[in-house]
Amino acid sequence: MADPHQLFDDTSSAQSQGYGAQRGPSGLGYPTASASPQAAFLADPVSNMAMAYGSSLAAQGKELVDKNIDRFIPVTKLKYYFAVDTLYVGKKLGLLFFPYLHQDWEVQYQQDTPVAPRFDVNAPDLYIPAMAFITYVLVAGLALGTQDRFSPDLLGLQASSALAWLTLEVLAILLSLYLVTVNTDLTTIDLVAFLGYKYVGMIGGILMGLLFGKIGYYLVLGWCCMSIFVFMIRTLRLKILAEAAAEGVPVRGARNQLRMYLTMAVAAAQPLLMYWLTFHLVR
Amino acid sequence: MLKKYFMSHHNLFTGHSICKKSPPSFGCQTWDNLTLIFTNLIIPLRIRSRVVMTPMPMEIFMDPEKLGINFDHIWQKTLTVLNPLKPADGSIMNETDLAGPILFCVALGATLLLAGKVQFGYIYGMSAIGCLGIYALLNLMSSSGVSYGCVASVLGYCLLPMVILSSGAVFFSLQGTIGTVLALVIIVWCSLSASKIFISALDMEGQQLLIAYPCALLYGLFALLTVF
Repeated sequence: MADPHQLFDDTSSAQSQGYGAQRGPSGLGYPTASASPQAAFLADPVSNMAMAYGSSLAAQGKELVDKNIDRFIPVTKLKYYFAVDTLYVGKKLGLLFFPYLHQDWEVQYQQDTPVAPRFDVNAPDLYIPAMAFITYVLVAGLALGTQDRFSPDLLGLQASSALAWLTLEVLAILLSLYLVTVNTDLTTIDLVAFLGYKYVGMIGGILMGLLFGKIGYYLVLGWCCMSIFVFMIRTLRLKILAEAAAEGVPVRGARNQLRMYLTMAVAAAQPLLMYWLTFHLVR
Repeated sequence: MLKKYFMSHHNLFTGHSICKKSPPSFGCQTWDNLTLIFTNLIIPLRIRSRVVMTPMPMEIFMDPEKLGINFDHIWQKTLTVLNPLKPADGSIMNETDLAGPILFCVALGATLLLAGKVQFGYIYGMSAIGCLGIYALLNLMSSSGVSYGCVASVLGYCLLPMVILSSGAVFFSLQGTIGTVLALVIIVWCSLSASKIFISALDMEGQQLLIAYPCALLYGLFALLTVF
């Protein structure tokens, strides 16, 4: 007979009615006592509740992160800049090293929105700058390693100093755009993309410097500086200067002159920064 | 039958020891304690035959399917990695499986250990950060998103050629020209496999080299660990 205080099911008798029927008398609320010690923990109603609460908490947390990450990092806007394919990247890299023969620098539009980089080689993208930045940090580590000056924290130092210069540049250009009161559709992310293109030239310079010494470094860096200068002028001219000036008609006027100077300043800053961030890596 | 023998001394249901009724002797008391311990194991074992439970340790060794480890799938994915030129099936990454990748990471650490480098921490740290970076990139580049588990799973599987490289490092030093060439070949092999699986699972066209490049950077870091 079932003892009202029994903790365990009595299966000593072969004709036990089975597990379920015996649960009634065990009024202590420990049906898990008859389970294995491991499963006892999971089947215990308290831990069931705890697990359900924990998983709902995790789901809530994930929802919160997903909702709020859109406030700080505009994911859908960023997706536009990563809609690239191999052909575009190849053409863009060619343009960065040799922009002299390219004729049409206008970005094509499709019903008020610029076309994705995949379809237009003039559109800015973030894949190349991001990859170039990471490669620059790794190549800097490699360069320091070949000179026996490497340590893992130097890598972090290089990365953060390059990032700091980039941020400074973006802020300075945004400030000057604001002061000159330019009415432009140049967004911050566009600006970051354009300013990130110089890392490609820097990587080329460092690699040549590693292979061929200082002569190779100066030659390649000089070439890349010229190319980036021309590239930036031709790209920014369409964004910052008024439409009239973009068509090639020289417009006199204080406002346009100021904008010309601004474009020239931005373009000239690129080679300077390229030299500043790489000369200490090549000995 | 064994149980009846135990129970004759100790009434499990009331908790009272039968030893109290007879004059206490040394043997009876210890027997009491032993039965108390054993009943926690024996009775559950009896009950287990009627109810489905979480598998006991012995069972897991006999039949890993109970843990969800599907050896056939692991083998299939390994074969996909080992042959980078054969186009991959998009559905193999439908279930996220971290058993294979963890096995390969441990194997990499073990072969590095054999070569004299204790770098488990670097391996785990770099894999975590690299997986995070590639997860962010893939989410931005693909039209459908990926989960972190899927990225970690693919990258872990494609670590297999790196394990081959580091086991080679046990027998001969990789710091010559041959070692550098071999390391470059292995890096290209790993990243081509990874990008092939990613573009077939995420349905991205024309972006294989673009995905292969960051994977190559990540595997290049592993190769640096192995060679230097």
